[in-house]
Amino acid sequence: MEYFADLSFTFFMLIPVGVIIGIIFGAIPGMTATMAVAVCLPLTYSLNLNQGLALLLGLYVGGISGGLVPAILLNIPGTPSSITTTFDGYPMTQKGEGEKALKIGIVSSLFGGLLSAAILAFFAPLLADFAIKFSYIEKFLIIFLALTVIASLSKNLLAGIFSGVLGVYISLIGTYDISFGGNGDIRLMPEFLEYWLADGFSLLPVLIGLFGLATIMEEAEKGIREEDLSSKMVLGSSIKFSFSVFKGQVINLFRSGIIGTFVGMLPGVGGSAASVLSYTQAKNFSKKPEKMGKGAPEGVIASESANNGLTGGALIPLLSLGIPGDSTTAVLIGAFTLQGIQVGPLFIGENMGTWHTMVLAVVIANFAMFLVMFFAIKYIAKVITVPKYILFPIIIMMCVVGAYAINYGVMFDVWTLLIFGIFGYLAQKIGIEVAPFIIGFILGKSAEIYFVKSLESFGTLTIFFTKSPIAMFLWVLIVVSVGYSIYSTIKNRRQDKFDGHG
Amino acid sequence: MKRIWMSIGLILFALTLLPVSSAMAADKVIDGNLRVVIGSKSTGGDTYQNSAIVADALAKKLDINVKVDAVGASAAFQALDRAGVRGNTIMIFHDQAYLGYLYGKKGYFDIFDKYIVGPTVAINPGNAYLVPKSSPYQTIEDIINACGKGTKVRVAIQPGGVSEIGYTALKNAISLKYPGKEGNLVAVNTGSQSAKNQLLFDGQADLINGSVQANEQYTRLPADDQKAMRFVWLTARSATIQQAPAAGLGQTTRDQLLQFVEPNAKVPFDANSYFTFDKEFYFLFNKGLDPKVIAAIDEALTEIYTEGKIQETQKKSFFIPNFKPSVEAAAYLKGKMEMNKKIISSMQ
Amino acid sequence: MDNGISSLFKVKINFAESHTFFPTIVFWVLLILLLLIFIFNGRPYLRSLRNGERKLSLSLAHVDKLRLPGTLVLTVAYFLLMDYVGTFFPNQGLGFLFVSIPFIFLLSLLYVHRIDRRKILAMSLNALIAPSVAWYVLAQLFNITLP
Repeated sequence: MEYFADLSFTFFMLIPVGVIIGIIFGAIPGMTATMAVAVCLPLTYSLNLNQGLALLLGLYVGGISGGLVPAILLNIPGTPSSITTTFDGYPMTQKGEGEKALKIGIVSSLFGGLLSAAILAFFAPLLADFAIKFSYIEKFLIIFLALTVIASLSKNLLAGIFSGVLGVYISLIGTYDISFGGNGDIRLMPEFLEYWLADGFSLLPVLIGLFGLATIMEEAEKGIREEDLSSKMVLGSSIKFSFSVFKGQVINLFRSGIIGTFVGMLPGVGGSAASVLSYTQAKNFSKKPEKMGKGAPEGVIASESANNGLTGGALIPLLSLGIPGDSTTAVLIGAFTLQGIQVGPLFIGENMGTWHTMVLAVVIANFAMFLVMFFAIKYIAKVITVPKYILFPIIIMMCVVGAYAINYGVMFDVWTLLIFGIFGYLAQKIGIEVAPFIIGFILGKSAEIYFVKSLESFGTLTIFFTKSPIAMFLWVLIVVSVGYSIYSTIKNRRQDKFDGHG
Repeated sequence: MKRIWMSIGLILFALTLLPVSSAMAADKVIDGNLRVVIGSKSTGGDTYQNSAIVADALAKKLDINVKVDAVGASAAFQALDRAGVRGNTIMIFHDQAYLGYLYGKKGYFDIFDKYIVGPTVAINPGNAYLVPKSSPYQTIEDIINACGKGTKVRVAIQPGGVSEIGYTALKNAISLKYPGKEGNLVAVNTGSQSAKNQLLFDGQADLINGSVQANEQYTRLPADDQKAMRFVWLTARSATIQQAPAAGLGQTTRDQLLQFVEPNAKVPFDANSYFTFDKEFYFLFNKGLDPKVIAAIDEALTEIYTEGKIQETQKKSFFIPNFKPSVEAAAYLKGKMEMNKKIISSMQ
Repeated sequence: MDNGISSLFKVKINFAESHTFFPTIVFWVLLILLLLIFIFNGRPYLRSLRNGERKLSLSLAHVDKLRLPGTLVLTVAYFLLMDYVGTFFPNQGLGFLFVSIPFIFLLSLLYVHRIDRRKILAMSLNALIAPSVAWYVLAQLFNITLP
């Protein structure tokens, strides 16, 4: 343990400080872990490397975890990766089980975080070599696999798929970005919009518009009735949280944590794909898939343990290839450079002390996150007892702050919020489904890059099947996933007919 | 109701106070907070880092709040158009600003026409080209010769800017020595550094654009590692690398780096000179900005660079300090653009 | 024969045109889906409309005529004004602060039912405190750019 000899009290204090700030950022819709880390980066100038890392890793873990709070309580994902948390978390809140859902989410987050930290600690270099086996083709197939979730999330199969593809289409609006290898040309818009739309619609404003603003408009249509969620809440507090919820969920926890770590480790696939994938898998393997999306704890478990699994996962390529696994770890590179340390394939070997310190910091940060959230929950859950005429204006204000700040001060992002708020409000009325739409929107751009770049290099569609054993394995998963959702649609339809006529 | 009026009164009171406080600060050339928008969206990249160093120094010198916002090229230009007249919004970017225009990318304009080009502050000397360690090509000349003899060589680059300019220069070098053969150098257009590395690992590219900072450790991997690479060319001027710390970067010393720079690595620009390219960071101002503000920034930077502390910070992050005041910088960059324009227009 | 099949899968992408390649595919998929929706869901729906089994309800009776349009108007005004006021205080986030206070108050006023003194007090305090705290923490403490 000689590596830890020079760790100071400050080191151990900075982790929880980071975690708390991170949770606050994560909990505000539109503020992300990336922003928390970027904003606090200058604070590390005055700290030494270990202390700086303690703060930043605390922020990272806290920021990723904080997203579950608004997802569960308000149906607004605090961060893109907590979208799937809303699917079951919010229905639980509506049933008066908000506090229970939060606790399930926190325990799952802790588990996912620790599992990924363990994987990071023991297998990082090995996994990095595995990760580079994923070229554009395999990454496209992973995205494609995640897109198949659309089918199983849809209420009406055709409408759901249409919504998903529409999401993909809208995500393509704007420049075919040269920083991802595009040719920098603008498409899908009339010329007079180019000034505004050159960068397309940003994910976060779209997300909080669809989930946050649209919901408020829906409520406004109904006249903002104060239905008494608070009385339900009191009733609900008799629904005691106990660890028995996790009975039978051990496999789900492991599977989701591993999926999270794994997806996090693939640069460019994107964090939100992790929770989407693990949510699908949880649904596919579930004994009661029909309960998923209506307040099943296993949905929250799958989503949250995957999204904390990301943290360790995204650090793997950063520390063993010098390549960030997601946008937050990209900011961490800056922190290393400031301290005169390079990350790359030799980082771990040459900086053993720093490496051990980082793993330790991630582990402590996860425990700190757990403790902070677990004791704060009682008070956090009270948010839903705040009357709507007070709460809604604050939500709109915070959405604006988040939308404006996400790209460091672009007013168009605030208008995006409104556009998609209205879109979300109207879409539901004509049968467009929001969840598939947003998943399509999130994954659309990467799907394009990986698909087009693969074809540019190889010039034939067959390469997607023949490139590697990994590609073939992914096809098996895709076929299973699609087959399963068709099967369950047919089964449900029969069930409906049976119920209807029987 | 009384309380409503009270709160409205409070707001009005606060509003009347504000002009007072900003009037008090009127002796400063820049009042309020200074916002530096940059042409990159990444807060982990070199543009952000370099801008943060400069912004920090400026904030202390001018005693104002300075904030760096990574909004990306098109949003940064828009912010400069919209709010740049008052001098509270300025931009820092690098050669991409005019290269994007020369390569005809959307959202880029002739910066010398549309904006005022301000002082240069630093160079990132790390722009590099690498091959797999097991590659048959030992030097960049080998690659030029191979293309001349009819072998196709695939180069992974990010199109439309700093990453492409080295590729264009290589094409130009091939056409000088083997006219008509430049088509054998083929661009594989891709995005991030990880994507470029990946193409090399997969054997989908023979040569990649990278950087000393991001790829140095890969060059030290054992030859039997699939990930092992080798530098063949750094585009920086020899004089630039000579200013780097003697220890170089990581375990690669300055002397080792100099092996890959002209005149050791030969990429002819024309009959008399080699092509070099330094990625330089500089300010951009709105055309209508009060010259007094520009003069103030020039003066502040001159003082900062005379003190000499910023140079140490920059070198620690592997930037080469390179301060030139506005007028000098604009003329210099204009010349640089004309030079690059020659090869870009002849190679397209 | 073998060649025939593999040439079927051959795709050549011109880089200069590659920005429209994928969007075109997605566009056609969307059209096909729309057609399928019409065939499987639309036609039965229209039929049931014609048979009188279902009625097209365009009634706006259930819509709150004050709160829904009010929300929209206030939000648009909020966004416009915040940007406008902000230009007077460059990069200080004050446009956000000064416009948020009345916005929050007015929106609360719009949403509240059975107004009384206690509620007004809560609304006013909220309208003053929430934006101030947000502004102070984000713009001052963390130096985040606000309008």
